[in-house]
Amino acid sequence: MLSIQGLKAKVADKEILHGLDLEVGAGEVHAIMGPNGSGKSTLAGVLAGRDTYTVTGGRVLFQGGDLLELAPEKRAAQGIFLAFQYPVEIPGVTNMYFLRTALNAVRKARGEEPLDAMDFLALAKEKMNIVQMDPAFANRGVNEGFSGGEKKRNEILQMAVLEPKLAILDEIDSGLDIDALRVVAEGVNALRSKDRAMLVVTHYQRLLDYIRPDHVHVMAAGRIVTSGGPELALTLEEKGYGWLEKEPPPRVQPAEARP
Amino acid sequence: MNAAEQSFAAQLERARDGEPRFVAALRSSARDAFLAAKLPTIKDEDWRFTNLAPLAGQAFSPGPLARATAELPPAPRLVFANGRLDPAATDLGGLPAGVRVSSLAAALRERPGAVEPRLGGAIAASARQPFVALNSALFEDGALVEIDDGVECQPTLHLVFSSGADRGGERGATASHPRNLVVAGKGSSATVVEHYLGRGAYLVNAVTEISLGEGARLEHDRLQEDAPEAFHVGALHVAQAGASRFAGQSMALGARLARVEARALLAAEEASCDLHGLNVSSGAQVHDHFVHVDHASPRCTSREVFKGILGDTSRGVFAGRILVRPGALKTDAGQISSSLLLSDDAVVDTKPQLEILADDVKCSHGGSVGQLRPDQLFYLRSRGVPEALARALLTWAFAAEMVQRVGPEELRARVRRAVTARLPSGELLREVA
Repeated sequence: MLSIQGLKAKVADKEILHGLDLEVGAGEVHAIMGPNGSGKSTLAGVLAGRDTYTVTGGRVLFQGGDLLELAPEKRAAQGIFLAFQYPVEIPGVTNMYFLRTALNAVRKARGEEPLDAMDFLALAKEKMNIVQMDPAFANRGVNEGFSGGEKKRNEILQMAVLEPKLAILDEIDSGLDIDALRVVAEGVNALRSKDRAMLVVTHYQRLLDYIRPDHVHVMAAGRIVTSGGPELALTLEEKGYGWLEKEPPPRVQPAEARP
Repeated sequence: MNAAEQSFAAQLERARDGEPRFVAALRSSARDAFLAAKLPTIKDEDWRFTNLAPLAGQAFSPGPLARATAELPPAPRLVFANGRLDPAATDLGGLPAGVRVSSLAAALRERPGAVEPRLGGAIAASARQPFVALNSALFEDGALVEIDDGVECQPTLHLVFSSGADRGGERGATASHPRNLVVAGKGSSATVVEHYLGRGAYLVNAVTEISLGEGARLEHDRLQEDAPEAFHVGALHVAQAGASRFAGQSMALGARLARVEARALLAAEEASCDLHGLNVSSGAQVHDHFVHVDHASPRCTSREVFKGILGDTSRGVFAGRILVRPGALKTDAGQISSSLLLSDDAVVDTKPQLEILADDVKCSHGGSVGQLRPDQLFYLRSRGVPEALARALLTWAFAAEMVQRVGPEELRARVRRAVTARLPSGELLREVA
């Protein structure tokens, strides 16, 4: 479904991704772990089309097509969804209006009929149950005055409404207490399906207790330095990221892995 | 004298027969004041950022008797065309007992005693300002609104000012000077809207005087949708008694050049006023809001929030003065102005002025000038919202706060339509509107 080949990207003049390769199949959940500054969020942003990053090399195929040439809204229409680490507040646009506008824009791009207000409301209600969102939030400004946990729930609500093919969750655990984390993770798990792939970006193993990945990748200095099954996350938890530098896994050449 | 001044001077010579003595006296001193001061230029501190040269270069004549052609708001409404009552379009149905609404000209003929103590009262401090003086000297008509003590006027009262003419080009520019007087009794409450619209090239120079009795509450909404070739000059003067509450919104949308000057005098304790405004400017429009709040008594509150959305080569001006007089203890005054620039060539000038002559007061002012935020744009686009719609939505979101302040739902919807229609790609926002 997603094929990342030798991806290089920079912010301003600083190269962050140094040739990253990753294959993600339909229905798979991949965790991307790594220390701060390893390029995890850059990868998430590049895939969603954030224009603060410039791609300088490599390519990304999504369902066989070139992803990188598409505007962010076109990527969304094709089924890419990024759950933001820091969801943006938009006072003056209500959450429900935003959701309906987004859904109908995506439906239009896919050649589907827009949902009218009544049908949308029914759908939104159903989806809000998944993330246990207080209906009072429906008519507040987008993320306006939401707590950290409420913002993350709202991200998952949007994902539930837009039903993406590839969901990229960028540190959805950051700033959450354990109860909020559980609710958000349950929402994510409810959306797992054989057609939907997920890239779960996180610094901490904790999140992976709730969202069990099929594959774990560790990033350092702008590329993936090792990959494995869920047990790899546990090793990291035990030994820390420093372990990677001291006992580099065999497939990595130390000279390249070092920042 | 420039062309505009010459044309006004000629009209000032015209004799008016049969007016009450106090009106004749008001007109005569106003005429002298205008001829002495003449039109302001950018050398006047209060007009530094708003150049009246395009207005000064034109001659203006009184508009013909006309019929209002615009889509009219619901009753009760008082409709004026080129500054004179349009009786056929006027409909005062639905006014509750204790609320009297009439043409000012008719009231001056029929019961001048009711007008005499009020006319020129709220505006006394600015009587000699050129446009106010011109209005006093040349007004033909306007609205007189009287609300008795304790009366709650439930329906929104609409005042419509339609200007210009279809064949304005042949006649040259016209000018009208509507004069409105609103007297709200003790403990009364009401919502009054002034709509401005028209066709062709014209000047509308309106003055509204409002006095609020003790504990009175008034919402005042000004919806300026004048024609693209028009000049709009408006003065709003509010005199407030103790514990009265005034909430004013000025929506500046139309005209090539519009200046609204709002002044509130908080004359007795615990009065409060909100003077808010929004301008949506494009092309080469100039929208100028000049606000002056006079805290003359202790424990009064004032709030000013002004927002501007500026595209193309348009220009926005906001000047806000807060005067806290000696003895006005526990004054609470706040002022914020923020602008959203949609183009590199749009300009905004802001000038806050705080003059605080009392101790133990709370006064603040702040402001910002910015552009659409890239993180918000990306957030919307990442959800599938096309860029043009995302921009329109965020621009609307900036304005929405001001529109939400309009109280009556029906009126709010109308203001929302008027505002969204002026935004770039506003047609994409049909569902918001």
